[in-house]
Amino acid sequence: MISFILMVNKQGQTRLSSYYEWMDMQERVALESEIIRKCLSRSELQCSFLEYRGFKVIYRRYASLFFIVGTKADLDVRALDAPGSTAENYENELGLLEFIHSLVETMDRWAGSICELDIMYQLEQVHFLLDEMVMNGYIVETNKSNVLRPIDLIDRESKKTEGMFR
Amino acid sequence: MDKNAPLKPESSLLQPQLTQRNPTSAPPVANFASITPPHNPTTRHTMSLKLRDLIRQVRACKTAAEERAVIAKESAMIRTAIREEQEQYRHRNVAKLLFMHMLGYPTHFGQLECMKLIASPHFPEKRIGYLGMLLLLSEQADVLMLATNSLKNDLHSNNKFVAGLALCAIGNLATADMSRDLVPEVEKHLGNSKPYLRKKACLAMARCLTKCPDMVEDFCDRVVSLLNDKSHGVLITVVQLMTRVLVIDRNEYFENGEDAMMGGDYDSPVRNAFLKLVPTLVKLLRNLLSMGYSPDHDVGGISDPFLQVQLLTLLRLLGAHNVQASEEMNDVLAQVATNTETSKNAGNAILYECVQTIMAVESEDGLRVLAVNILGRFLLNRDNNIRYVALNTLAKCIADQSSGVKEEENHVGDVEKNSAASALQRHRTTVVDCLKDPDISIRQRALELIYHLVNQSNVEALTAELLNYLVLCPREHRSDICTRILRVVDKYSPSDRWRVDTLITMLTIAGRECAPDVQSSTAVYISRSEEDLRAYSTHKLLKALRDDDGSQRGLLNVGIWCIGEYGDLLLSDYSYNPPVVEEGGEGPVSFMASEPAEVVGIVEQIMTRRSCPAEVKQRALTCFAKLRERYASVADASVLDKLEALVKKHEGSHSLELQLRSCEYGALLNAIKGVVVKREAPVVEDDIFGVSGGGGGTESVSDTVRAAAKEALARMPVVDIKLVQKKREERSGAIIEGGAMDPLDGGHSAPVASGGGDSLLDLADIFGGGSPAPASPSQNGNSSFAAPAPAAAQSDVDLLSDIFSAPAAPVPAPMAPMSGGFDIFSQPAQTTPAPMVNDLFGATPAAPPALPIGSPVMDVFGASPAQPSPIQPQQTSVPTPAAVGGSAEATTVPGFTHQGLTVEFECTKPDTWNKQNSLLVAKFINTTDAPLYGLHLQVAVPKYVTMEMKPPTSTTVPVTGGSSTKHVTQTISVTNTMLGTKNLMLKLKASFTSKGTKVEHMATCSGFPAGQY
Repeated sequence: MISFILMVNKQGQTRLSSYYEWMDMQERVALESEIIRKCLSRSELQCSFLEYRGFKVIYRRYASLFFIVGTKADLDVRALDAPGSTAENYENELGLLEFIHSLVETMDRWAGSICELDIMYQLEQVHFLLDEMVMNGYIVETNKSNVLRPIDLIDRESKKTEGMFR
Repeated sequence: MDKNAPLKPESSLLQPQLTQRNPTSAPPVANFASITPPHNPTTRHTMSLKLRDLIRQVRACKTAAEERAVIAKESAMIRTAIREEQEQYRHRNVAKLLFMHMLGYPTHFGQLECMKLIASPHFPEKRIGYLGMLLLLSEQADVLMLATNSLKNDLHSNNKFVAGLALCAIGNLATADMSRDLVPEVEKHLGNSKPYLRKKACLAMARCLTKCPDMVEDFCDRVVSLLNDKSHGVLITVVQLMTRVLVIDRNEYFENGEDAMMGGDYDSPVRNAFLKLVPTLVKLLRNLLSMGYSPDHDVGGISDPFLQVQLLTLLRLLGAHNVQASEEMNDVLAQVATNTETSKNAGNAILYECVQTIMAVESEDGLRVLAVNILGRFLLNRDNNIRYVALNTLAKCIADQSSGVKEEENHVGDVEKNSAASALQRHRTTVVDCLKDPDISIRQRALELIYHLVNQSNVEALTAELLNYLVLCPREHRSDICTRILRVVDKYSPSDRWRVDTLITMLTIAGRECAPDVQSSTAVYISRSEEDLRAYSTHKLLKALRDDDGSQRGLLNVGIWCIGEYGDLLLSDYSYNPPVVEEGGEGPVSFMASEPAEVVGIVEQIMTRRSCPAEVKQRALTCFAKLRERYASVADASVLDKLEALVKKHEGSHSLELQLRSCEYGALLNAIKGVVVKREAPVVEDDIFGVSGGGGGTESVSDTVRAAAKEALARMPVVDIKLVQKKREERSGAIIEGGAMDPLDGGHSAPVASGGGDSLLDLADIFGGGSPAPASPSQNGNSSFAAPAPAAAQSDVDLLSDIFSAPAAPVPAPMAPMSGGFDIFSQPAQTTPAPMVNDLFGATPAAPPALPIGSPVMDVFGASPAQPSPIQPQQTSVPTPAAVGGSAEATTVPGFTHQGLTVEFECTKPDTWNKQNSLLVAKFINTTDAPLYGLHLQVAVPKYVTMEMKPPTSTTVPVTGGSSTKHVTQTISVTNTMLGTKNLMLKLKASFTSKGTKVEHMATCSGFPAGQY
């Protein structure tokens, strides 16, 4: 399960954050700044995974923006079989990396060449888009047209004064 | 903040990647300088503009303070708007709150606004309301309850987007109560005609079931039809839903305690129902594989990798511990493993998942080897991401296998292990190479894997690699690695010599960082080995100490301990010829003999370094004392004198521990030499056991005593780790951790913490809070014996006020099992609750357990108060070992005399630096001819005085002056905060029973010397 998705720029400014596991404010701020610090300190050649405070963090950089996905780090395999264990992280790091790319491509098609400013100024729109793709930390849809069709439809209908939403 | 970063926020995110991956599909770059969103209704437009203005303002801020000011102003505006119910701006305000929330500012005041927006009939407002709810509210928020009704209404909406929003909200936020209320509606949407709602309903359902696990069983049947869905969105969600359900179900199953058989197969209706679906899932996966190109779900030439990964995950859960299901999926797993394209990340993701599944289910041998080989290929990949997951998975697999084999020791297990494990061993060098990778993530993973790879045959090579890595790795990881190396060495070491060798090398590299238990384990290994090996270790350590710069504290600890214990072995040459010199193995080893003076010099040099840690100094003192004994017959007088001087040098140390050791060891050495400490005005009274030492003037020490002292400085008995561990387990819980559990330092502090309460405190107090004990016996001067105190009688505890009653002295209080933890540096485990006091650090039990309890023990310091009657609280700050009578400063103040009971107070100042503090020891003297019973003394003090009273040593006051009596005392510690202006005054109330009549008496005591108390 995905615990959080962040979009943070190279200056460490968060451009979008979505948490699927409750964390209070101080924790979030600390987590975000710490993770971006770690991401920035890594070179392109290093792998895209790091472990931080029990989270496995998968990140990918697009131009100036880091897309960061945190999942609960794998627990011990044996613990998974132990009775009463709550190990339920089956996330595939490479799969999530692919998912990040899929997300970025979807956003790119939505805005036509997405850039950091788009995300910034259309915060709520990006959230709507993200909600079509991820719910409660699980992947809902990865097909770009399936994600964008309802969003476009809603936007068009909302524009009309006599649309489906009256 | 640098706004002129090389990569401007305006630059397209995807540009470089897209050109690289798929040059044709790259859309033309649009310039976003004019930030007008393509589609926005007019109403939204004004709102967005407003949010935009806020964002612009924030961006324009140069400092964090400026930003805070802008946000504070905006927050105030929003609060006003909320208060004034400005409906038209509600959604705009919530949108701004989302932004502020993202920046980390408080937004709780907007929660109710979200609720109001949700109930709005206008879709855009509703949409923002739901978004606000998802982001601003926590599951615990009370307002969430209010949403239940709106959610229900929206779920019934004919508009799929409205229902979609509601499902999304349920999926993200539903609480247990909400889940119960809304499950029927969610379930209805599972059968909705629109895939848009079906997929959302699946995940909403997953949330509801997580919150209410008891509903799981009723629901399984719905899944079957969903698995035949055409939409991949529905499929991926339903597969995830099933995975969730399985996890929930298993947790439920084990929580309900249905015979929690370890990890094995379990049997529940849900799992059984899902097991029937395995063929369907397999077919689904196979269809994906053979589907060919479908533009809708293609990622890098692979159809829907996300769905494939989820399917494999689900199969893994179902196939684990189930032979039939595993058989059913065998073929498709092989197909995935062989046919997946590996040039792209998506393909590797599937392969990775597939390998995990193969290793987890009961798959065929051939398949497992195939899986390991795939990982081997991964390891050779140039992409670090792939190598990372390969290392990760290999570590998991190995851990799995080794425990699996342990569980079922059948042939199948062995064969499996052999084939897969040997395949793994083939990749060993690759893994070791990963330790040299510049990427810390990779190194960590490789390290983890290496720990698992170690076995009997490769332990030497791999440990050498680990030691190499230890030199290079960051400091903060060293402690962990040391512990792991210890574990590896402990488990697989081919020979004692190699083990000791490795551990010493490790200490020379990372003695600074390694944990105390690593140090003490090393010492234990050395002490348990053959004499020959001890000599080798000690020589080696001496050399290492000589070469070290004094910063490797762990090395110093172990080295100094060994030199102390086995210092005599250093005096002869040492050489070792390995029986067979292997290729590249070490040749013969030899060390030159050292002179005693040289050995002493090295240790002294370490100790006198400014940076020398306190614990090392303490051990060095023990070392000197022991060396004095070891070299007694071989070394020159000058060396011996120097050793004694070194021991005694710290008698005036500011460090309590050093001072204590110094005094005690000094006394021990004196005892061995037969020197009896001079006493002043010995208070001769009969020993309670009738074995009086024979009065004052004894000038020589008995042989027993000398032997005991020698024994105390002899080598420590070998510690049997198993026994110690067993003991430790038995009484874990009784002992505060870090006490006896702490291998190195246990003895010092633990007993005080863990010991038997009052009695111990008493003891400490009598000696002025753990003052150097040797001072007091000197003054009590009787050459009698430390009386074994009956363990149960608390009142006798002060009998212990003998030599060793330093903080570490084991007190035979009923529940003080502190002696002998796994503490090789303190005392070995005691076999009997020996009432005589043992020494502390590095000394053997002062008297062998064989001595009958209650027999006269020894007189190491030439004196010990058999009867604590004249317990003269000592002036503690000035250590007055052995010679000076300490009672000089004690003032006796009469309390009262009534009906044969006389109370006197012996007053002392325990702390020279704190004059306000005084210690009053009430002495009860019975002048009648029969004992007084039920003594109870109450003391009241003026407000400016704080007081702390200990219980009396006994409530029965025997006739004073009788043959086998001792004084009954009670310790009172007072602090006069107005010292100098006001005097100490006590109001006393005593009650006791004398000859059958109850007596009560009140008195005032103000005879304390003015200005002093």
